[in-house]
Amino acid sequence: MIESPLKLHFNDIHKRFGKRHVLIGANIQLSGGACTVLTGPNGVGKTTLLRIMAGLEKPDRGSIDMGLGATRWRRCYAALRTRILYLHQHPYLFDGSVSSNLAYAISDKHNRCLCQQRIKEALKWAGLTAIAENHAKTVSGGERQRVALARAWLREPRALLLDEPTANLDPEARTRTLELLFRLKESGIALLIASHDPHHFASLADKHLQLTQGILAEELSDNTNVTPFRRAHS
Amino acid sequence: METLGNATSNALFLLISGDAELWKIVAISFQVSITAILIATPPALLTAFVLAYGKFPGRRVLISLFSTLLSIPAVVIGLTLYLLLSRQGPLGEWRLLFTQTAMILGQIALSFPILVAMGHSALQSADRRAWETALTLGANPLHAVATVMWEVRFGLLAALLAAFGRIVAEVGASMMLGGNILNYTRNIPTAIALETSKGDFSQGIALGIVLLALSFTLNALFYHLRGGGQPA
Repeated sequence: MIESPLKLHFNDIHKRFGKRHVLIGANIQLSGGACTVLTGPNGVGKTTLLRIMAGLEKPDRGSIDMGLGATRWRRCYAALRTRILYLHQHPYLFDGSVSSNLAYAISDKHNRCLCQQRIKEALKWAGLTAIAENHAKTVSGGERQRVALARAWLREPRALLLDEPTANLDPEARTRTLELLFRLKESGIALLIASHDPHHFASLADKHLQLTQGILAEELSDNTNVTPFRRAHS
Repeated sequence: METLGNATSNALFLLISGDAELWKIVAISFQVSITAILIATPPALLTAFVLAYGKFPGRRVLISLFSTLLSIPAVVIGLTLYLLLSRQGPLGEWRLLFTQTAMILGQIALSFPILVAMGHSALQSADRRAWETALTLGANPLHAVATVMWEVRFGLLAALLAAFGRIVAEVGASMMLGGNILNYTRNIPTAIALETSKGDFSQGIALGIVLLALSFTLNALFYHLRGGGQPA
């Protein structure tokens, strides 16, 4: 699924809204097949960081290295959008059926047969076959999350950024979502999960980062000490 | 002068008998207004999108300007274009005055602010996640714009109907720019105005019935497309 191991470095990312500094020199690295969990209290700036990384929000300062040397966000945001997929806390599903939502993620729609085949595979992959023709706006929260993950699976991004993917899900829906995330990770996609409830992702996470008052730091595995995250190139 | 009863029965007869002059007026009306709306819609909706999603200096001023232009009288548009297109005007060389092209220009000028203001309102109410989801799923900007517009299509369709309703029934600009020439620039509203001034109400009533039927059909179609008023 993935051509070569992903190495994506975001260096010295700064962002502020008015007088409030949301990100102060944040450094983060994504690697293919690894899962990073980003924690921090509500409103601390986790979503902002994810949106910057996905090419949806402009940082005030910072550089991005996608393997071809550091470059400014402005020069590479389009490339970020093609490589990285961002999932909102409540993923947006377009007006139409679950199948038509999956079709949106298929870039080559010229081959109708192949397109239908890929949609069928994605429906099966996410356990959505039974609701394939249901209107997307009528599905439950857990199903909505799985439709979004199935779209991601079809899209084959290099990295997947998820904003509170299990928030407001019942235990069963949460387990199914985690199972799909695990499979995406296994396929070589880099995962970055923002959550204020990191214990849900303990089995999935390779690294924990904490964002507090604009400072991004790596959290040690015993969860007692927090050390500043080293610069990717230092 | 005809009584109301006589005029109405004559009007119905004109409609049913397929009176050539009357249906020619209807055809000109539709031809001019549909052309105007087709030309105005793409740039107007794109402008509405830029105003709803763009971040640039002067954006708020532009939004206020288009809202103000919503209520501009048709005769003012007619007068402005008349001055531009008349022989002594800067565009006089084009010899467009008293042509269907001049009427189309007037109707574009009238419909554009309606499409922008109502389109902006519809697009602003769209969920921002639609735009971001489209981009993050690999859509190019134009495809993402089309996706967002599809998500708010009923709001945009309402804008389209409102704009079409305004231009198909306006008298001022069409009269000044078209000149009300029979079989060329005489459309439904200018014909109604002329026939009424002559005291011949039959044709006016017949054309009024056509406008009402059009309005009813468009609204019924819109209601049907929205799912008969049922919540989504």
